[in-house]
Amino acid sequence: MTDRPLSRRTLLGLAGAGGLAWATGCARGTYTRPAPGNVLTLNNDVATWTDAYAAASDALERRTGSRLAVRAVPNQSTYQQIVRMSAQTDATTDLFKWWNGYRLQDIARGGIITDLSTAWDHAQEQGWVNPEMRESFSFDGRPYALPLYKTYYPMFFSRRAFAAAGVTVPTTFAELLEVAGTLRDAGITPIGAPGATTWESIIWFTQLLIGHSPDYYEDVTAGRASYLDDTATAAMELWARMYADGLFSEPDADQSGFPGMFADGTLGMVIAGTFTINSYIQAGLGAADVGMFLVPPVDPVVEHAVVVESAALCVSADAHKHEQAMAVADDWLATDVQQAWADQLGDASANPAALPTGSVVADFAHDVARVRPREVTRYWEASPPVLVEGNVQDLSAFMVTPTVDNGITVLRNLQDRADAEWEAWRA
Amino acid sequence: MTVLTPAAEVERPASVRATGPARRSPRSVLAIALFLAPAVGLVALLMIAPFVDTAYRSFFADNGFTRTFVGLDNYVTLFTSAGFGQTLLNTLMWVAGTLALPVLIGLLIAAGTHELRWGAVARFALVLPYALSGAATAVVWMFVLRDDGALNAALAAVGLGGLEQGWLLEWPLNTVVMIVASTWQGTGVAVILFLIGLQAIPPSTIEAAKLDGATGFRLFWHITLPQLRPITVVVVGISVVNSLKTFDIVWLLSKGGPGTASETLALTMYRETFTLARYGAGAAVAVVLTVVVVAVSWIYLRRQLRAN
Repeated sequence: MTDRPLSRRTLLGLAGAGGLAWATGCARGTYTRPAPGNVLTLNNDVATWTDAYAAASDALERRTGSRLAVRAVPNQSTYQQIVRMSAQTDATTDLFKWWNGYRLQDIARGGIITDLSTAWDHAQEQGWVNPEMRESFSFDGRPYALPLYKTYYPMFFSRRAFAAAGVTVPTTFAELLEVAGTLRDAGITPIGAPGATTWESIIWFTQLLIGHSPDYYEDVTAGRASYLDDTATAAMELWARMYADGLFSEPDADQSGFPGMFADGTLGMVIAGTFTINSYIQAGLGAADVGMFLVPPVDPVVEHAVVVESAALCVSADAHKHEQAMAVADDWLATDVQQAWADQLGDASANPAALPTGSVVADFAHDVARVRPREVTRYWEASPPVLVEGNVQDLSAFMVTPTVDNGITVLRNLQDRADAEWEAWRA
Repeated sequence: MTVLTPAAEVERPASVRATGPARRSPRSVLAIALFLAPAVGLVALLMIAPFVDTAYRSFFADNGFTRTFVGLDNYVTLFTSAGFGQTLLNTLMWVAGTLALPVLIGLLIAAGTHELRWGAVARFALVLPYALSGAATAVVWMFVLRDDGALNAALAAVGLGGLEQGWLLEWPLNTVVMIVASTWQGTGVAVILFLIGLQAIPPSTIEAAKLDGATGFRLFWHITLPQLRPITVVVVGISVVNSLKTFDIVWLLSKGGPGTASETLALTMYRETFTLARYGAGAAVAVVLTVVVVAVSWIYLRRQLRAN
C-alpha cells in the first residue's frame, strides 16, 4: 500500500464522487437557467445557419441590446421532439424555429408559444412585411410567429445544359415540356425530381396543382375540396405523362448530387427552394452557371402562382427572458436585421426591402416583383401535419410507379386520409 | 405439455428441491439477494419501469401537449389499419430471412474455414462487416442499390442492362435486398459463435468418428452438427430477436417505402411516435412489438433449453 500513491479503493471513490458531481451538474444544466448577460437562446434545426444568425444577432444587439446564442439539432424529427418536450419544462430556449401553417397551429393550440400580434402590427406599420403573410402564421385569428425567411420554389436550370441542348428559358408550360424533351433527346436528364423516400414528392404534385388552379390548391389543402376533383386527376395524369415521356430523373436521385450535374451539364432543371442555392454556391457555381425561373401555369389563362416556404420564429411561452425575447421579435423584421441575415443566408427575406446582395436569388426576387405571382403556402405546412406526412408517403409511392392508374389510387388514398385526419384535427 | 415432457424432466426439479435449498443458511440467501440486487434493480429501473410507463401511455391519445384516455382505441386502430398486415408480413419476412441466411451462411463459413490453413484470413474478411454499425452498412448499400448506383452501373457495364432494377423502390424486392444487406453485415457474429462451438467439440469425438469411417458430409451431419446444438440455439435466438427489431437498415435504405410497403413493426412505432407525434399510438405499437419479441424468445428458448 505504501508504495502505491493511489489505492484502487481511493481511485474508485474519486471516480464515483466525480461522476456524482458531474451528474448533479447536468441536472441543473445551462438549459434550465436563463442565459448569462444579454444573451438570448434560440433553438433551430439547421446547423449551417450559424453565420447568418451571428450576422442578424449583431444587428439585433444594436437595436435591442440582446444577442442570440444559437443551438442546432440538425435532425428534423429529433428537433421536433426536443422542442415539444422542452417547451413544457424549464429547459426551453427563449426563441425557437418552427414551421408556419398547420404545423404552427399544432403547437399554438398546445399553448407553448406567445401571441406576437404587437410585433406583427409594428412590422406592418413599418412596412417590413407583406400583410398577406400574417394569416399563415396565425391561429384563431392571432399571429404566433414571425417569418424567419422567405423561400420561393422556382425552377433552377443549368445554363451549361441549356446551351448544350440549344434551348432557352420557357415562358409557357407547353414550352417547358418542349425544352425538357429537347434536353432528353440530347442525353441530358431533363428534370431532377427526388422524392422516393423523402418529402420532396410534394414538390411536383403541388406545382401541377397550382399550375391548373391555385384556388383549387388552397381549397384542397384547407379541406374545402376533394382530392377526387377533376383538377387533381388532371394534375396526376399530366405528372404520369411527363414520367412516361422520360422527363424526370429516377425518383431516388440524390439532391446533393445536383450541383455537380449542373456543373457538367448532365442535368437540365430542378424545382427547389431558393435556399438550396447555397449548395450550388458551395460547389463553386454562380450566376453564370445557374439560373432560376418561375414555372409557368399549365393552363395559360390561370394566374401565375409560386410556392412559398417561410419557417417561423417563435417566442416560448415559458422563455426565461420573455421580455427581451419579445423585444427581439419586435425588431426581427427590421430591414437592417433582415439585410444582414439574408446576405449571409443567401435566401430571400420576408421583408421585401432586404434582398441578398448580388445573388441569383436577388435576380429571381426581381422577377417575382415584376410578375407578382400569387404566393401559396408549401404543401408541407398547408394541411394538418399528420395528413401531410401520410400523403407524402403516398405521393412518394406514386413517383416510384408513376402510372395514371396508380395516380388515381393515390388520390383516393389522399382523400380517405383527408376525411379521417380533418375530422381528427377539428375534434 | 405433459405428454411431451419425458419423465427425467419431471424428476430433475424435484431432486434439486430436495438437496439445494435445504443446505442454504439465511446468511447465504441474503448474500445471494445482495449479489442479484444490482442487476435486478437495473433491469427493473431501465427496462421494466419504462415498459410499464409505455404500456400506460398506450391507452391515451397524446400529442405531446394534451392527453386523453381512449382505452384500447390505439390498439383497435393499429390492428384494423390498412398497413398493419403488410407490416406484419414484412416483419415475418425479416425473421425468416435473417434466420435462414446469416445462420446458415455463418455455419457454412465457420465449418468450411475452421481447419483451413488460410481460414483465418477468409474469416476475417467475412467477419469484418460485423464491425460496422447498421447505419454505416446502410450507407454502403445505398451506394450500391440506388437506381443510379453501383449495382445497376455494373450490370449495364457487363451488358446485362436488362437486369437493372429499382432495387430499393419495389416491394417485395426491396425487402429481399435489404435482408441480403443485413445478412452481409450480420453473418459475422454467427461465424464467431459457431467457431467457438466448433472449438469446444472434443477432438476425441471427431477422432472416434473418423476411426469409425465417418468423413466429409457424414462426419459433419452426424457428429459436428449435433455437437453445435447449444451454440445454434444461441445464434438462432439472437437472430430472431434482432430481426423482429429491424429498424436502422430499413429506415436508412427505403424509409419503409414506397409508401409504407417495406415498413416493419419497429418503423411503424417510429413513424407514429416521432413523425406523426402520436405518442399513444406509437406506445401501442411498442407494446405489441415487445409482446411479440418476448413471446417468441420465451417460447423458443423454453423449448430449446428444455430439449437440451
